[in-house]
Amino acid sequence: MRAALRLLAIAGALASAPVSAQAPDGRALFIRPDKGNCIACHQLPGAAGPATKADIGPPLDGARLKGWDSEKLRALLEDPARMVPDTVKPPYGRHRILEAAEIDRLVEFLRALP
Amino acid sequence: MRFPEILAAALLALVPAAHAGANAVRADIAARLAAAHPGVAPSDYALGAAAFDAERRAQLEANTPAPEAAGILAEGKRLWTRKFKNGRSLAQCFPNGGRRIAAAYPQLEAKSKRIVTLETAVNQCLRTHGEPILEAADAAAMGAILAYVRSLAEGQKIAVRVATPLAEERFEQGRRLYFTRMGQQNYACASCHLQSAGKYFGNTALPAAPGAASRWPYVREGRAVTLQAQVRECLERMGAAPFPAGSDELSQVDYFLTALATGQTIRPNAWRPR
Repeated sequence: MRAALRLLAIAGALASAPVSAQAPDGRALFIRPDKGNCIACHQLPGAAGPATKADIGPPLDGARLKGWDSEKLRALLEDPARMVPDTVKPPYGRHRILEAAEIDRLVEFLRALP
Repeated sequence: MRFPEILAAALLALVPAAHAGANAVRADIAARLAAAHPGVAPSDYALGAAAFDAERRAQLEANTPAPEAAGILAEGKRLWTRKFKNGRSLAQCFPNGGRRIAAAYPQLEAKSKRIVTLETAVNQCLRTHGEPILEAADAAAMGAILAYVRSLAEGQKIAVRVATPLAEERFEQGRRLYFTRMGQQNYACASCHLQSAGKYFGNTALPAAPGAASRWPYVREGRAVTLQAQVRECLERMGAAPFPAGSDELSQVDYFLTALATGQTIRPNAWRPR
């Protein structure tokens, strides 16, 4: 029984490996008020982040982000007004709220959402 | 413009192409909010976040009157009636000892062509009588005084009308500041309080602009938070250097917001959580 549980735990860890290997930094950037603070406007699915009532931006999940490749997401985060002129999303790259490498980690986090 | 650096990246996406006059701006904003929130009565905008959030509204009602308001009002009354060295007082600078005056501020002063806020009027009185003036951002003194003076106008309808070309000009300056994106986050005041009014930023519903002039000051953590203090807090959150307390820019925003709320009831000193 104990061995079976251990196997199950290992299997669970392996199954989540692609997300957890990249998510911590991106998740922190998504949540931290002094970084992206994306959580103030967007909700995340399930256990991907803290539950909030935020609804200024759409809720984010794998299905919604399906059509967004990394390049398009990176461009959106860099300067969202170029895609949506009246958006209230901050220009994370253009105003240097996030470094290029941080935007990359955020993109990885978003693309790994369930 | 005092802070060209924070306005350099301004985008006026929310601004109508041409200034249509204060009445037209008010009507346009009212119509947009009514369309977005048909279930919210415009008189409820004065409740701030609670206008859009039943849970917050219940908390507000449970904290009415605000537990710490009585102490602030007592201090405000003390300062308002305190005798100056020449025997006069703030109360004697204003008609009826200051009763019901708050509904008519800010005012456009014809001589100086500047907006006179309640803060400015208090300091004009102090200066006239040789007393040291107060910092507009001093919550303990100016905040308490304004909390008291606003309480003397509780239930009055705001009566700030934009009736002359110069008044229109000042209203327009305030409106432009309100709609101008600024700071690192690239928000305008209007991004949150018009474009996203009633939506949730985290777990807090965003108050609508036309209620801002009705409900100030609110009482938070034992302090009276004035309209100018609120605007300065928002600017900091936007990653912009706040306009100085008592500046013409803040006066113009105050004038714009108050003219927007003309006809609404003054409901000051309500509880607000951090």
